[in-house]
Amino acid sequence: MAFLERLVIDLLLRFWSVEQLNAALSDPRTVALIVGGLVAVATALPGVILLLRKSALTADAISHSVLFGIVVAFLVMLALGADPDLSSPWLIVGAAAAGVITVVLTEAIQRSGLVKADAALGLVFPFLFAAAVIMVTRYIPNVHLDADAVMVGEIGAAWANTNSYCLDHCDEVIITPEHPKAEVGRRCLNCTPGGITPRDPRAQFEALCANCGTYSAAEAWRLRLIDAPPALIFFPRAIITVGLAALINVLFVILLYKELKLSTFDPALARSFGFRPGLISLALMALVSLTAVAAFDAVGAVLVVAFFIIPAGTAYLLTDRLWRMYLIAAVVGIVAVIGGYDLARGYLMGFEINRLLEMLDKLIGLGGYTEWNVSISASMVVFMFLIFLLVWVASPRYGLISLMIRRRWQQLNFGTQLMLGHVYNHRESPNAPVECAPETLHEHLNWSQRKTSRLMALARTQNWLRIEDGLITLTDQGEARVRAFREG
Amino acid sequence: MNLDYTLVMVALGGALLGALSGFLGTFAVLRGQSLMGDTLSHAALPGIAVAFLLAGRDPLILLLGAGIAAWIGAQMVRAITTTTRIKEDAAMGIVLASFFALGIALLSYIQKRGDASQAGLDKFIFGQAAAMTVNDVLLIGIVGAAITLIVLMFWKELKLITFDPAFAAANGYPVRWLDLLLATLIAVGIVLGLQLAGVILMVGLLIAPAVAARQWVNTLGKMITLSSLLGMVAGMVGAVLSGADRGLPTGPLIIVAASILVLISIFFAPGRGVIYGWWLRRKQHGLS
Repeated sequence: MAFLERLVIDLLLRFWSVEQLNAALSDPRTVALIVGGLVAVATALPGVILLLRKSALTADAISHSVLFGIVVAFLVMLALGADPDLSSPWLIVGAAAAGVITVVLTEAIQRSGLVKADAALGLVFPFLFAAAVIMVTRYIPNVHLDADAVMVGEIGAAWANTNSYCLDHCDEVIITPEHPKAEVGRRCLNCTPGGITPRDPRAQFEALCANCGTYSAAEAWRLRLIDAPPALIFFPRAIITVGLAALINVLFVILLYKELKLSTFDPALARSFGFRPGLISLALMALVSLTAVAAFDAVGAVLVVAFFIIPAGTAYLLTDRLWRMYLIAAVVGIVAVIGGYDLARGYLMGFEINRLLEMLDKLIGLGGYTEWNVSISASMVVFMFLIFLLVWVASPRYGLISLMIRRRWQQLNFGTQLMLGHVYNHRESPNAPVECAPETLHEHLNWSQRKTSRLMALARTQNWLRIEDGLITLTDQGEARVRAFREG
Repeated sequence: MNLDYTLVMVALGGALLGALSGFLGTFAVLRGQSLMGDTLSHAALPGIAVAFLLAGRDPLILLLGAGIAAWIGAQMVRAITTTTRIKEDAAMGIVLASFFALGIALLSYIQKRGDASQAGLDKFIFGQAAAMTVNDVLLIGIVGAAITLIVLMFWKELKLITFDPAFAAANGYPVRWLDLLLATLIAVGIVLGLQLAGVILMVGLLIAPAVAARQWVNTLGKMITLSSLLGMVAGMVGAVLSGADRGLPTGPLIIVAASILVLISIFFAPGRGVIYGWWLRRKQHGLS
């Protein structure tokens, strides 16, 4: 991990100075947006596959069992005397493994037939979550893993948990008496009060160095033993953890693009091609677990489910192409992270929520407390939900509005077909003057007069029928349309 | 007799709620609606917060808010699955996580207001039996009795739509209304149980006793009785343990207790359990 962080820092330093970088990385908003954006990308991609495989609730299940893995790994590290750290690779891999194992075990319980599939999910994961919560409240004396953090994470504090890297003037400083900054004095060895004084030629001296010794770079700068401060970068740990998860997920969906596509949409065909869908699905579980652990510190165990499912669901309402779904889901996640951060601080796309609270306070009384400053990760999910609602209503292809328009259009289309068919059937029969009169047509079709005249107007503007001498007759186009409808 | 008043209330409340959850959970499990229960309980959280903001901490109003929010959540799941191509599992995931997040955001707003009365809301996340008062217990008792009465009144109909809804429909039973009735009863049970088990873990209290009971018996009547009993045991044990040690939240303790009952049942139930399966295979192996 340290190596990777160093690599990223070197890369960033090609574009920005140390001061700029430190300023950015100590800004809570910037760091929260970087971490949140990476979490959004890391979760949205496997989320798309989970959604398409109809196993969206596996994300829910895994996030609960992963909490159990994290807590157990945490306790094991405590017992071994190591300092447990949520960004430690051992802890992440251990917890992810626990997640995978529990999912496999649940599937085994489901296969045993003793418990129904949905009940197995509703049974195993609450149990693991409950056990984890008990262990957290009882055995873990750590501020970074309490019951609140378990639920919502601490993305707002991600900037404060850093590793420091020194780039320049970093060496330990060893001050010897010869060093130009050494404060060398001398001490009289045989001076006595009233006897030998330091000015006496008999006095013997030893050289004495007041500040000799070894100093770390930071200490040396504080004491001004070196001319320039050590160039330190404080790099938030969460960035690398979630960044790595995002990278692995991106590589996974790119490198295994066709394997994932085929084993998701046609597992039987995938098997016959030798793609081993079982293996791919295990890899997916492992990846979801890993991602859930990596994101745990930022968004907690419960809300991470939203990051997996909601962007994927939103993308599903917008496109039919897999690669577009990946892209849209990632973008939705990132937009929600940015919008959600500001929402938590009281701004919804330029609107101040505090105003609304002040209004509500006057109307219903909120106790005069009108400052909206709430959980950041929860707000990100709320914003995600707002995007989902918007897309659900307005998606050009699958939205509610287009659904209503389509249904309306189908109604009209079907109505005119019926009307044209009726006229067509009676066009040459002797009672055509009765059946095809515009004034009484609605009685024969058993429709309201309003509907009939509206559809008749529609058919006339389309030039399907005309009214001649108080009689409805079909045009050539109208007849062609009826015949086309009957044949196909 | 030197029984602590609070502890008696806690034990009584835990036992009643556990029994009620076990009772209603039987239907949820048999009808394959376990995860809908999970969705309902998560979706209730913002309702609790809004009710608190509007009307303060009257338990009845909080429960009403929870019920309304859970109902909206359920309707939204239905709307998403009927108007889009998103499947039910994803729709439940979306609603569950969004409503929960909205609830958490509102709770963190309420928390930061810093008035003392907000202390009561935290209990809805992980459950807190220690806060149970005699009024709560009375409410649980009355509603529980009403629910039991309704189930007994419609016993034949509910049994029919649970096991063979198509047959029920063919015989002219109002299946849609009965479905709605049962779903409403389950929702009321979930909302009542939230203060004991919390929104995250309520599904466990609903499911576990019924799954355990299912291993031992084969008729609805026996299953519902046993499930209520097991739920009562789990609810009481969890509530008393957390009442005695206030550092521990009630919900997780109840779930662990109930899960132990499930484990025992899955292994040891005669004629069905894992150990019986082993024994049967060994016997058959010996004969062949």
